[in-house]
Amino acid sequence: MASLKRIFFGKHSFINQRNSIYSLIQQNGMSQYPSYYIQPVYRKEAQEELEKSGEIMKITHVPTRAALNDQTSSVYQDELVNLFINYVMRDGLKTLARGLVEKSFENIKRIQLEKYHKAKTEAEKQAIEINPKNIFHQAVNNCKPLLYLTPIKRGGVKYQVPVPIPDKRSQFLSMKWLIEAAREKERTVHFPEKLAYELIDAASNTGKVVKRKLDLHKQCEANRAYAHYRWS
Amino acid sequence: MLRSLRLKRLLQFNGKTLYNVSRLLRSEPTKLTTVESENESEAKLEKKSMSKAMKAYLERAQAHDEFMKQQNYEFQIGKRHLANMMGENPETFTQDDVDRAIEYLFPSGLYEKRARPIMKPPEEVFPKRKAAEFDETGRPHHFLFYTGKSNYFNLLYDIVEHINNLNKYEDSMLNKNSYPDPNTKLQLDGYQWMDKEALENVLIEKIIDKEYTNFVNAIERLYNHPYSYRIKEFILKYRKPLMSQKSTSDLPKLQYDSDGRSYVTVYECLRKRARGHVTIRAPGSGIISINGKDLMYFEDTQPREQVIFPLIFTKMLNKVDVEAYVEGGGPSGQAGAIRWGISWGLRSFVDDKIIESMRIAGLLTRDYRTRERKKPGQAGARRKFTWKKR
Repeated sequence: MASLKRIFFGKHSFINQRNSIYSLIQQNGMSQYPSYYIQPVYRKEAQEELEKSGEIMKITHVPTRAALNDQTSSVYQDELVNLFINYVMRDGLKTLARGLVEKSFENIKRIQLEKYHKAKTEAEKQAIEINPKNIFHQAVNNCKPLLYLTPIKRGGVKYQVPVPIPDKRSQFLSMKWLIEAAREKERTVHFPEKLAYELIDAASNTGKVVKRKLDLHKQCEANRAYAHYRWS
Repeated sequence: MLRSLRLKRLLQFNGKTLYNVSRLLRSEPTKLTTVESENESEAKLEKKSMSKAMKAYLERAQAHDEFMKQQNYEFQIGKRHLANMMGENPETFTQDDVDRAIEYLFPSGLYEKRARPIMKPPEEVFPKRKAAEFDETGRPHHFLFYTGKSNYFNLLYDIVEHINNLNKYEDSMLNKNSYPDPNTKLQLDGYQWMDKEALENVLIEKIIDKEYTNFVNAIERLYNHPYSYRIKEFILKYRKPLMSQKSTSDLPKLQYDSDGRSYVTVYECLRKRARGHVTIRAPGSGIISINGKDLMYFEDTQPREQVIFPLIFTKMLNKVDVEAYVEGGGPSGQAGAIRWGISWGLRSFVDDKIIESMRIAGLLTRDYRTRERKKPGQAGARRKFTWKKR
């Protein structure tokens, strides 16, 4: 009876809980840091959260890696924007990429402010979002697909099978599509301008990128007959 | 002479012989002269029954003892020579002095520290050896002798024994309807298991990687038991801290200039190919000077952000003045070097709690990552040439 109780209450007796940061076998290839070094928590708010949940006690004796050179605790820092800058970047020209994204944010601000001043009633003015960062977040969120098609081979024939998409992948696709849409333009239009338009459109759930997402959803819907190939 | 020597050797190593001799002595206490002859026959008998393994072991042990003696003697002589060479007193010449002298007399640029010339006492250089594992009849002392790695398997055995005992204890507690308190659970975060080499030194046995993982799995299981705090000492024997607290809490002392302002200078601020030194003065008004210019020394936003990162993080932006000199490398590396210098120096001006949060933010860790070299036969560090069949 007692041993039965243990099986029910003492999880430890058959589940080996191994903490990944203590894994001693070096699995990090050429990394300069030993494997038990943890990622830095460089934002003040994130640290306060850790403190509230009491998890900070766990890392008091664990060494941290150095913060990367695009990470700061500044209020202007945004992880998603940083990621977006990295996706825009080509051939390691980070300064250029950052400049382009900042320029497009400036354009968004100008466009929205213009709209704001043209609006007549107070209610209309309230409805207009002016903060480019919020618009950006909204746009990325609106363009995230829920499903995507993956080729699976059954009986020598490749079927496009709809499968649920991991969050990280859908975020990547959303940003990639936004950038692709912004690069499809006439030679006279500059990238930041086009990106600003695309972001504003996507934030209001219209435009090329949202259409692309809906197309993908439609295709998934059309291929729903193959969905069972995912597991059989 | 020979007889007494043999007797002595027999008396040396075990209780059984001793017991025999004493019994003999007890039975014939008066005939002291005959005792010796009796003893000899007894010794012969014993010798016959002594196993070949034991004999070989004794020979090896003796040879090793002599070898160590010789090594020790040579080490002492060498130390005296070294002291004389360095013009110091050989009587008070310590191991630290020896190390320093060797480093001075045999400068070595070899990257691997263990490949550089050393002079250590022979006990450290030559590995420890196990004592006799069997008696003179060849019977092993240890019940796990035939596993070949008795100490290692004994350790595993102990771990399992502990797990079983704790399970029994848990059962008895569950019968009393009391459940383990999660707050009393053993918390050893910031420690890691002893590495393979250290474990081998403790066990005096060579173990293979698989055996080491088995050990880690077993002891991890013991550690995760809710009642593992009951055998904390046993677990702690095989754990070592991940990080020495000394490095971040070792603060440089504040100095004072002619105006009475306190300042700290951090030398050797390194990152990538950049190096520099940073001086922080308090109280200040937030003046930042880099190579004589202000923050505009950097043309891009990112390095500027990096320079002020520690200052905003500790909310010291307008309370201190920073003076930095950097050379070498590019803007990113220079900014990184200054960032590290400022955070390292700021420790003297803020309290312990902020130092700890700076450490968690990754500001106090020196970033050792550098450009990876290009490899021959490849287009770059990792990139390969385009593959062509022929």
